Amino acid sequence: MKPVVDGLKKQYEGKVEFKLYDVEKSAEGAQLATDFGAQFVPTFVFLNADGTESEQIVGEVSEAQLKKALDKLK
Amino acid sequence: MHRTKTPLRTRWRLIAAAVVTAAVLMLAAGCSSSLPAAGNVSNSDAQALVDKGVRIVDVRTVAEFEGGHIPGAENVPLDQFEASMGSWDPAKPVFVYCATGSRSVEAMRILSAAGFSTVYNLTSGIVAWDGEVTTDPTAVASGGPATPSASGLPVMYEFYTDW
Repeated sequence: MKPVVDGLKKQYEGKVEFKLYDVEKSAEGAQLATDFGAQFVPTFVFLNADGTESEQIVGEVSEAQLKKALDKLK
Repeated sequence: MHRTKTPLRTRWRLIAAAVVTAAVLMLAAGCSSSLPAAGNVSNSDAQALVDKGVRIVDVRTVAEFEGGHIPGAENVPLDQFEASMGSWDPAKPVFVYCATGSRSVEAMRILSAAGFSTVYNLTSGIVAWDGEVTTDPTAVASGGPATPSASGLPVMYEFYTDW
């Protein structure tokens, strides 16, 4: 997923903040994943600017699916 | 030249009349499905707001919210209220409630001061609510770690491992 996410990160620069956590290595990431109820990796969590959750996607996804979720964010 | 001017003017008048009529009809339609008067509302008026899909905001704490809330409500505790409401549309109605109606009065005051035109408060709070209550966290749009990002931008989290 890394090349896809890196590409999207560039495309959405200034529009969406990307936070990537290796849940095996990052205690903060593991805690956040628990808080969001994420049980599997990879899990993508999309939050609107006001902090409300827009969507969660679990598992490998296509770039198009990620873009769709990113474009929905307010 | 003079002869063509009159029909043209008439045509414009007709168009203007049609536009005005359409606007009046739209206003009338808006009024016929009207919401209760803004301010403190009873359970029955509040139920009408819920049915119409008005934004419902529970201003109690996360723990109180998890104990039971109105279906479709989002949880924005009062201390996070001003940070969250910045992204809401002030032209759209907002319905706030808390346990007894005291914290939500404060939320209503904050919203009104920020220019929100239509704000409702459940007068006696959820303790006196006789409608449906849910503890289903999936109905929650916010809460938990969902606080506005420091950057003010939407956020995408990816949780992964390097296997």
